[in-house]
Amino acid sequence: MDPSFLLQLLLNGIVIGVIYALIAMGLSLIFGVLEIVNFAHGEFYMLGAMLAYFVASSTTLGYWPTVAIVTATALCLGFVLYEALLASLHGEGFERSILLTLGLSMVLQNGAVFLFTTTPKMIAGSLTYSNIVLGGLRVPVLRLYALGLGLAAFAALFLILHRTRIGKAMRGVAQNRDAALMVGIDPRAVSRLAVAIGIGLSGLAGAALAPVYAVDPLMGSAFVFKAFAIIIIGGLGNISGAALAAVALGVLESLMSGFLPLVLVDAFAFVAMIAILLFRPQGLFGRGVRV
Amino acid sequence: MASRHLQSIAVGAALILAAGSAIAQGGPPIVIGSSLPLTGTVASFGQHSRWGAEMAIAEANAKGGVLGRKIEIDFHDNRCNPAEAVKSVTQMLSEKKYVAIHDGLCSSVALAIMPLVERAGIPFVVANASATSIAEKSGVGGNKWTFKVNPTDASLLDALIRHLHKDGKASGIAFLGEDSDFGRAGSDGLTQALAKLNLKLASTDYFQKGAPDFTGIFTRIKAAKPQQLALYAVSADFQNAMRQWAQLGGGVPLTGRPLVDQVPAEIMASGLLDGTTSVQPYDPSVDTPGNKAFVAAFTARNKTAPILVSFESYESIQILIDAIRRAGKTDPAAIRDALAATKFSSILGTTVEFDQNNLAHNNAIILTIRGGKVVVLGMSKT
Repeated sequence: MDPSFLLQLLLNGIVIGVIYALIAMGLSLIFGVLEIVNFAHGEFYMLGAMLAYFVASSTTLGYWPTVAIVTATALCLGFVLYEALLASLHGEGFERSILLTLGLSMVLQNGAVFLFTTTPKMIAGSLTYSNIVLGGLRVPVLRLYALGLGLAAFAALFLILHRTRIGKAMRGVAQNRDAALMVGIDPRAVSRLAVAIGIGLSGLAGAALAPVYAVDPLMGSAFVFKAFAIIIIGGLGNISGAALAAVALGVLESLMSGFLPLVLVDAFAFVAMIAILLFRPQGLFGRGVRV
Repeated sequence: MASRHLQSIAVGAALILAAGSAIAQGGPPIVIGSSLPLTGTVASFGQHSRWGAEMAIAEANAKGGVLGRKIEIDFHDNRCNPAEAVKSVTQMLSEKKYVAIHDGLCSSVALAIMPLVERAGIPFVVANASATSIAEKSGVGGNKWTFKVNPTDASLLDALIRHLHKDGKASGIAFLGEDSDFGRAGSDGLTQALAKLNLKLASTDYFQKGAPDFTGIFTRIKAAKPQQLALYAVSADFQNAMRQWAQLGGGVPLTGRPLVDQVPAEIMASGLLDGTTSVQPYDPSVDTPGNKAFVAAFTARNKTAPILVSFESYESIQILIDAIRRAGKTDPAAIRDALAATKFSSILGTTVEFDQNNLAHNNAIILTIRGGKVVVLGMSKT
């Protein structure tokens, strides 16, 4: 077997795994702090990609300013989302939160269909077809950018959570909301920030991937279900676990796609999720170290 | 100013009266029901299908309608989902105001609608769904109420494989298609067409609709070095596949039914897809007077050029209206019998007739990409 074939699959897998991680980390953060499963997460990823498309096609701003604008907008949207919808849950009503975010997902998706139509939109720029070629290996430059952004986002999130006061506050609220309140932490402010960062990460993912994939109102559902599987495999609310599970899943899926029918590859994440739920419900990395 | 307003109102009233006299008041409008994916992953195709149908109806009404009555069409969204289609078509059939049901667009949807129209005894005109099994189950196949206006994948792929075989390019074809009746009809059609030449597909793979990443499967296909790759993908899946194929450097010509008119311009211009062959029921560049007029009128009306499904819906509605006219009444059985006796002049320059499986036979267009441009190699009756 040609080793470059395996290396190409491995490389593809690492890139797609980091892309999965970019989406799953935000989902995991919001669950970790608020114990809310955000079913609209994929739609915020889609809105990020849609905004990136419109910024890229109507301005002369380059890739990095577009990513910055979209991420900042998504952060703001996260604040609004928390204050307008999620704050009223007061950390209660898990079922209400599911119905609320599911409803929001439908409103956002159908609103986007109404406004933008389902015609796929493509961002074409000078880097669209640029590749780094090493022997028989090819990696598109824009995927490498997405890889870099994913790694940077993970590092930044890790540092925020483990090296800053606000990160400690988030972990405190995640561990025990009432105890955090008693020691002077404002759970509402912390939750608001967690949602803003979570939605910001989905916006960042949308902006990073808009030049890689076709942009359309239904693109969110492609990744979000896999992201749910990833955060369950990694341990609900455990960001490092989600990131590791995402990269592992991306690599395994890619290696499998080199030899097995794609239908089996697509099913793998969900079979793994079912197995985890049955035999290790706390996830591979457990909830003890969450957020 | 007031007199100008009165003048405008008078002119408007005269125009309305003129239109009213063109469509003599012989009764309420004749209503056709249509089930299309107007939302969901293939909604852009549903929209084009709708535009084609609306244009055919507008033209017919401008000429006085049919049987002295105006024609209308009601569109119901099926999201390319058989369950949604069954729900909306069942509702349409229960209302008993529709003289026929049009389309479905997705093969799985059309196959789900077929038993419903058979039970209700209402003609079903399939414009876009391409699965061969639709025709196999129609006419002498059992369902007398279903008429398939567009060619089957099998008939199209027969024409393509014959063409490729002439140039010695029919062997070593790898297949990649969406995991749906559309994709499976493509692999079945190719398998059967190749079997007639004692050949086989080099490999067969299906992907899940909406899954955006093709890098893994493309890496595997490229490593296997097939002579050609038959790609069955539409809408965002097709765009994602094309971009990732180009990013991985292509290297294998495409064949089957790749949507050559929807390849991003920069990929087309790069020459990466040169040597690609495609068979389609339609291409806007077909050089016939009827097609030129259709393309011009459609583009003026919808601000975009027609695609395959726009043409198919346009002609299928024309065929249905022609059948209602020849039936002389809106009785479903009379329309069904008139449909079976259709002799319709297509804008592709041939006469369309239904065979014993209620399958229409029109020209298939063999296309290639040469120098970054789509070139019509020829037409071959299916």
